[in-house]
Amino acid sequence: MSVFQGNPGTLKTTHAEDSALLPTWFVRFWAAVAILVLLAAPYVLNSFWTGIVNQTFIALIGALALNLLMGTTGQISLGHAGFVGAGAFTAAALITQFDAPFGVNLLAATVVGAILGVLVGLPALRLKGLYLAVSTLAAHFVIVVAMGQYQSSVSYGAGFTMPAPSFLGWELSGERRWFYFLLPVALLTLLVHVNWLRSAFGRAWMAIHHRDVSASALGIDTARFKLLAFSASTAVTAFSGALWGYYTGFVSVEAFDIHLLIQYLAIVIIGGLGSVLGSVLGAAFVMTVPHLIARAAEGVPALKAMGASVFELQIGLFGLIMLLFILLEPRGLAGLWFRVQAYFQLWPFRFRAWER
Amino acid sequence: MSLVVVILIQASFYALLATGYVLIYRSTRVLNLAHGELMVFGAFVFYQALTMFPGSPATAVVAGLLGGALLGALVYFVVMRPLAGYPVAVGVLATIALSILLRSLITAIWSGQTRYPAELLGARAAPWDLPGGIALTPIDAAIVAAAAAALLGLPLMLQRASTGVAMRGVAENAVLAAQRGINIHAINAISWGAAGLMATLAGIFFAVKVRLGPDIWIVGLAGFAPALIGGMDSLRGVALGALIVATAEVLASRYIAPQFALAAPFLVLLVALWIRPWGLYGSREELERV
Repeated sequence: MSVFQGNPGTLKTTHAEDSALLPTWFVRFWAAVAILVLLAAPYVLNSFWTGIVNQTFIALIGALALNLLMGTTGQISLGHAGFVGAGAFTAAALITQFDAPFGVNLLAATVVGAILGVLVGLPALRLKGLYLAVSTLAAHFVIVVAMGQYQSSVSYGAGFTMPAPSFLGWELSGERRWFYFLLPVALLTLLVHVNWLRSAFGRAWMAIHHRDVSASALGIDTARFKLLAFSASTAVTAFSGALWGYYTGFVSVEAFDIHLLIQYLAIVIIGGLGSVLGSVLGAAFVMTVPHLIARAAEGVPALKAMGASVFELQIGLFGLIMLLFILLEPRGLAGLWFRVQAYFQLWPFRFRAWER
Repeated sequence: MSLVVVILIQASFYALLATGYVLIYRSTRVLNLAHGELMVFGAFVFYQALTMFPGSPATAVVAGLLGGALLGALVYFVVMRPLAGYPVAVGVLATIALSILLRSLITAIWSGQTRYPAELLGARAAPWDLPGGIALTPIDAAIVAAAAAALLGLPLMLQRASTGVAMRGVAENAVLAAQRGINIHAINAISWGAAGLMATLAGIFFAVKVRLGPDIWIVGLAGFAPALIGGMDSLRGVALGALIVATAEVLASRYIAPQFALAAPFLVLLVALWIRPWGLYGSREELERV
């Protein structure tokens, strides 16, 4: 289970080689180049675009978690926005009540997320497909109302202002500092995620995705692994929510409505369900494209005259893109990339003889 | 006493919404999370017709219902037909994508401004005083009457009318129905159209009673709670599901806090899913099929 599809002509003779993260020197070289480019990015991009990259990092963490649940384990969850909010609210509440430090709050948010995941995952032992989706959507509304209740009782509905956190004595203020904090965090999450996928956990989750009955016939404790998938996913989601709260500096319940859920669904669907590369591509796509459109629209007087409805059309555009991907390329952007890859690998032929 | 009437009105409104969910689920096995947008679209067509022909509300209602039904059928042909046979989750995700697309189109066409169609209809909302201190407005009476008509008429139609029989056949076994010469795509489109019509009906009532704006889709979305509690493939369950949800909602908003009105249907739904996932009257084998 590698992030990249194998190159033709590399014969793998051991399991270690097969599951290596960076299997060939070619991949290692380009991974190193990518890291270097990323490290230099804040000095090339202006503050605005560095901010977009930062938001992409946080969205990537949340999207990986959602993809783990929906793409890998095949348990559809529509409660993601609620879990992001739960993480942000845990951090906000701990600051308001106890003035707790940054690291403690991140940890607490992760733990709260894991507990919520077990609670919401419990029905998953009984419910499948549609019914599970609906119960998680119901959980979303219940969580959001509970958060709204807490917000109006503590801060009179105004929301919570988050202080600029400091990490190891390094105050996180300004986009550039956040970038150098979020880059390693996002890469670490990516690494943890990929390691989950290529361990026994990942194999169990994928087996459950394909058919839970046959997975349990193979000796996989499906109940345990479904709950594990839920709580791992919601823990990481809540962690990203706490990060988001600190990053924006303000936590309010309105930010965690159904639009946030749709944004995350858009990331995993446009990127490609069940693909790590897809989450990366999807997060980058969903976070940057609206700003690119906004930039492009500035040049068009007719669009500029429409004012606020341009924003609405943009959201609708995501709906359209999601629909087109569902209808035409269910594997998402990652699928498109694999197709391009296959085209060049196989040229001058069209198909692999054994390709399904 | 007046509390009972409030619950009854709310339950009737939910019943109108939930029948749409059930009609769609029976024919195409899709939980249509874009139902709220079908509702808003139909209501806006009604409003548009009302501003163009202020004299005749009946024309506006017919135009709205037609608009909602046509959109429902269009959604079936463009989005749902190519997805036939995919896992249920794909249909749910597709309707979510569709919902934000429709919502943004509605906002782009009619803007996000809140409208009050009741003003255009004139001040005809004076309540009738019934014995027992109950004040019933004509629009509330119309909601209850429409729900009663739908809950009695739709099963009758499924039982007697040839289209209804074909709909039941498609719901039971689409392949077999197709083999017997039933045009299943036409039947499914009719189901989606009927669902769009029911959604529009609920939307028009809500628009006249409360307000009209693109943000009322959330009211339409809440209709899936009674549909699931009653059983997604059961028209019989709709009445009971709507009654349970409406009772929970009205009691929660009256005795706990008004903010709980939104959460109550979903809390009840969570409990119901835990106890009886296939709903009160739903078919049990559905669970393994999905």
